[in-house]
Amino acid sequence: MTGFDIFAIAFVLLVIVTLFAGVKTVPQGYDWTIERFGKYTRTLAPGLNLIIPYFDRVGRKMNMMEQVINIPEQEVITKDNATVTVDGVAFFQVFDAAKASYEVANLEQAIIVLTMTNIRSVMGSMDLDQVLSHRDEINERLLRVVDAAVSPWGLKVNRIEIKDIVPPADLVEAMGRQMKAERVKRADILQAEGQRQSEILRAEGAKQGQILQAEGRKEAAFRDAEARERSAEAEAKATQMVSEAIAKGDVAALNYFIADKYIKAFGQLADSPNQKIIMLPIEAMSILGSLAGIGEIAKATFGESAASAAAAARRTSSVPNTGPTPPPVAPQR
Amino acid sequence: MAEIFSTLGTWNWLIFGFILMALELLAPGIFLFWLGLAALLVGLLSFVINPSWQTQLLLFAIFTVAAVPAWRHFARSAGSRSQSNPFLNKRTEALIGREFTLEKPIVDGTGTVRIDDTIWRVAGPDAPAGSRVKVVQADGASLTVAAA
Repeated sequence: MTGFDIFAIAFVLLVIVTLFAGVKTVPQGYDWTIERFGKYTRTLAPGLNLIIPYFDRVGRKMNMMEQVINIPEQEVITKDNATVTVDGVAFFQVFDAAKASYEVANLEQAIIVLTMTNIRSVMGSMDLDQVLSHRDEINERLLRVVDAAVSPWGLKVNRIEIKDIVPPADLVEAMGRQMKAERVKRADILQAEGQRQSEILRAEGAKQGQILQAEGRKEAAFRDAEARERSAEAEAKATQMVSEAIAKGDVAALNYFIADKYIKAFGQLADSPNQKIIMLPIEAMSILGSLAGIGEIAKATFGESAASAAAAARRTSSVPNTGPTPPPVAPQR
Repeated sequence: MAEIFSTLGTWNWLIFGFILMALELLAPGIFLFWLGLAALLVGLLSFVINPSWQTQLLLFAIFTVAAVPAWRHFARSAGSRSQSNPFLNKRTEALIGREFTLEKPIVDGTGTVRIDDTIWRVAGPDAPAGSRVKVVQADGASLTVAAA
C-alpha cells in the first residue's frame, strides 16, 4: 500500500466528515444559533443550511414554537391572611433565538420563577374573595408584568392562566356552609312569603264571601220585606173585598169561612202524631160558637128540618151558646 | 483494507450509490444523497475510462464536494417559491401592515395594543390611548407602529 493509497482513502473520509459537519438541516419550528470560535455570529432559519466546518459550530437549537410551561403549585397568603394553594400555566414564544439563547441562562426556569414571584405579589394584594372571583384581572396583571420582564430575552409571554386556586379545607368547608345557609335563608324567606301571600288571599276570599253573603241576605231581606208588603197589600185588598162582600151580602157567609178554617186548623192539631193532648185557650171555645152561624147557614140552605137537627146537636154539646163572635182577622201568610 | 478498495469497480460504485440514496430516505440529512450521487457519477465514468481505484476514490470525493454548490444553486431556484405559509413561526412579521387601537398610550416611545387576546408592547411616536396605529416593522417580539 503506497502513501497515495492511504492519502486517497483519508481524503474521502475527510470529505465525508467535513460534509457531515457543514450541512445543517434545521427543521421548521426551530432556529439554530451559530457560534464562530464560541462567539455568536448568525442564526440558521429552517431548511437546508451550510456552515463552514472547523470555524462554525451550532450553538443552541432554539424552539420557536409557542410553548406551555407549568407554573408549579405554591402557597400564597392573601391580603386577608388566607393561605391558598395556586398553580398555573404560562404560554410563551421565542422570537429572537440569539437573545433567548445568550441573554438568559435557563430560560424556562427564569420564566417560572418570575411568574411565581409575581403571582405572589399580585394575589397578596387581594382579598380571598377577590382572588377567587377576579381570575381574569389576576391573569392580565401577571401577563403585563411578566411580559415586560421577559422582553429583553427576545421572547413574548402570550398568556398566563391561573389554573387552580385551592383555599384550605376548613375554609372551603366554611364557604360551603355559608352558601348553604344563604340558600336555606332564601328558601325560608320564600316559604314565609308564600304563606303570607296565601293567608292574605284566603282572608280576602273569606271577606269577599262574607260580604257576598251579607249582600245576599240584604237582598233577600229587601225581597222579603217587599213580599210582606205585597202580601199585606193583597190581604188588605182581600179583606176589603171580603168586607165589601159582607156589606153587600150576609154575615153568615163570613162565619162559614171562619168555622171552616177553624176546623181545618183543629184537624191539623189532631193529626199531629206526637200530641194527643191538646191545650186549647178558653177563647177558642167561644170560637166554636161560630158553629151557630153554620147552623143558620144550613137553615137558610136546607130548610127548617135540618135546622132543628142542628139545634138538637147543639143542645147535646157542652159548649155554651155565646153566639157568633167576629174573630180577629189575621194576615194570611 | 486495500483489497476492498482495489476491487472497486463500475458495478460496485453504482450499487454503493443506490444504497447511499436509499439510506438517505431512511435517515434524511441530505449529504448521503450527495454521496450517492457522486458514487453513481464515478460508476458511470468508470464505464468510459477505467481509472485506478485511488483515482476513483479521489473523483468520488471531488464530486461530493462539487455537489454542494450545485445542490445549493438548485435548491435556491426551486425552494424560494415553495413555502405556502411564509409567516410560520414569524408571528410578528404577519402583523406588518395591520391596524390596531392603542390600549395604553404610547409614552416615551412604548405603549400597548391588544392583538389576538394578548397584549403586545409597541414602540412608536407618542400617541393617546384609543388612537389607531399601523404596524410598520417587526423585529423579533417588538413591533414598531406609526399613526394610521
